[in-house]
Amino acid sequence: MIDVLKSELFKLRTTRATKIVVICSIALPAIIFGLTSVFGFTNGEVGDSLISMVGNFAPLSGLLLGVVGVLCSTQEYSQGTIRITLVATPNRLKVFVAKILTTLVVSIVSSLLMLLLCLVPSQLILSSRNITFDVIGSDLRVLLSVVILSAFLSILGLSLGLIFKSSPGAISALLLWPTILEGMVFGLLSLAFKDTNVFKFAPIQGNGFRLISTFSGTKENTWLVSLTYFSTFVAVFVVLGAVLFTRRDA
Amino acid sequence: MIVVENLTKSYGSKKAVDSLSFSVTPGRVTGFLGPNGSGKSTTMRCMLGLDKPDTGITTFDGRKYADIESPLSHVGSLLDAGDAHKGRTARNHLRWIAMTNGISASRVDAVLQMVGMEDAARTKVGKFSLGMRQRLGLAVALLGDPKVIILDEPANGLDPEGIRWTREVMRHLAGEGRSVLVSSHQLVELSLVADDLVVIGQGKLISSGPIGNFMTQHAKTWVRVVSPQFDALAALVAAQGGTVERTAEGGDFHAVSAVVVGDIAAANNIVLHELSPQTGSLEQAFLDATDASVEYRGQSTTTNVWEAPKP
Repeated sequence: MIDVLKSELFKLRTTRATKIVVICSIALPAIIFGLTSVFGFTNGEVGDSLISMVGNFAPLSGLLLGVVGVLCSTQEYSQGTIRITLVATPNRLKVFVAKILTTLVVSIVSSLLMLLLCLVPSQLILSSRNITFDVIGSDLRVLLSVVILSAFLSILGLSLGLIFKSSPGAISALLLWPTILEGMVFGLLSLAFKDTNVFKFAPIQGNGFRLISTFSGTKENTWLVSLTYFSTFVAVFVVLGAVLFTRRDA
Repeated sequence: MIVVENLTKSYGSKKAVDSLSFSVTPGRVTGFLGPNGSGKSTTMRCMLGLDKPDTGITTFDGRKYADIESPLSHVGSLLDAGDAHKGRTARNHLRWIAMTNGISASRVDAVLQMVGMEDAARTKVGKFSLGMRQRLGLAVALLGDPKVIILDEPANGLDPEGIRWTREVMRHLAGEGRSVLVSSHQLVELSLVADDLVVIGQGKLISSGPIGNFMTQHAKTWVRVVSPQFDALAALVAAQGGTVERTAEGGDFHAVSAVVVGDIAAANNIVLHELSPQTGSLEQAFLDATDASVEYRGQSTTTNVWEAPKP
């Protein structure tokens, strides 16, 4: 298993597309947040804590790490290396688990790096501007949520890649579902049922992205309910991806 | 040793491989022949567990492929030279494969040297010619120093030197006691390297065994004769049931043996300048054997499909 894990990590390290997307997932939020710290924040505008502001970038970073998950699986099909992968390791479940673990490691490390690169320079910049703020304060849960969101979106991307076997299909599904389709579907449901609170059943926007928000309203899901709902949604795709990957002809 | 037993694989209602059974013996090169779409590649994919057969089993020295620990050390395969990420270097391509089976980086460098690619080790696969990719594919097959080697069209895209090198590699590997199964459309090349043949058509076995047996069964044989009294001899041979085909220098007798022709000539004091038994090529034997099972056939150049449109 260790050999297969090492091989999967090596594969990710030696493809340019994955490296670029990983760098983007770390650097884009860091750059935007750094610039905001330089030009934007004034005293009293930093919110509850700096990390709660950084948390707003988690969906962007998480979706980019989801694309890394997609590439981890679909590049094997588009380049034909899946045949060599499965000839070298005939136990497909082992390959699947190795891909999941690799994607998780990359997404967790990347999201932690993203947080670090957002927080440390901003802290220095804001201190030099004599702006007072809390770095984490009482929002430790946001730190955890950013990492969880990135990890789940990356394995969702991997699973979609294994289901679609093509980058355009899987990336479209990964990006269009939370950004457009989910809003349309649950918007229509809310009209149909005359219930504005139906959005809390939206798996990614209503629960996944909500993990990093402040939970105050009584009609909204709690953090734990949102986590359970979102993880169940991701688990369905992981199981579907595993079943198709282990049973389909390569 | 590879043993394929009763292998059947269908895609929808179409049977790509139909109750196929054959074996590949250690120390011999076995050629795997069949027309386009006959099921050669599907058979190889089923053997390696990439496609799941409907029925049948393949064993490598008595074990199923999926049950072999570190399979690259037992079975090396080249299915498609294009199976490599275009953005990776040759060395990195081999390294990730080596890692899966705990094969050392020094072995990666060794196989790159074996296939003559040490200078291209750090070049990206996307910059390789088809011939270079074939060499890289062969390096993948040899990576684990396996006892069994399966190659699908290994000479495809290689230059004459590369083809000769591939032939020598296959002979060398078989000489070391390994089982080598190779599919190829280059029948002349295969006739130079194969000891045994497995011939399939429309997924079914047509012939299996030593190449000599296949040639005896399917290759045309005739007797070439050059004689100043050819017409007289031709009449006598025809009376014995032989058929005659005139050539510029003499003629060919069919349906009789050289012994019979020689005896007739001797008994009738006919002078012979040449009397030689002839055997058709592997290509001709293959085409005759698989004629009934060719699925996709091109138009003959004598038919009007090749004629230029009239103005």
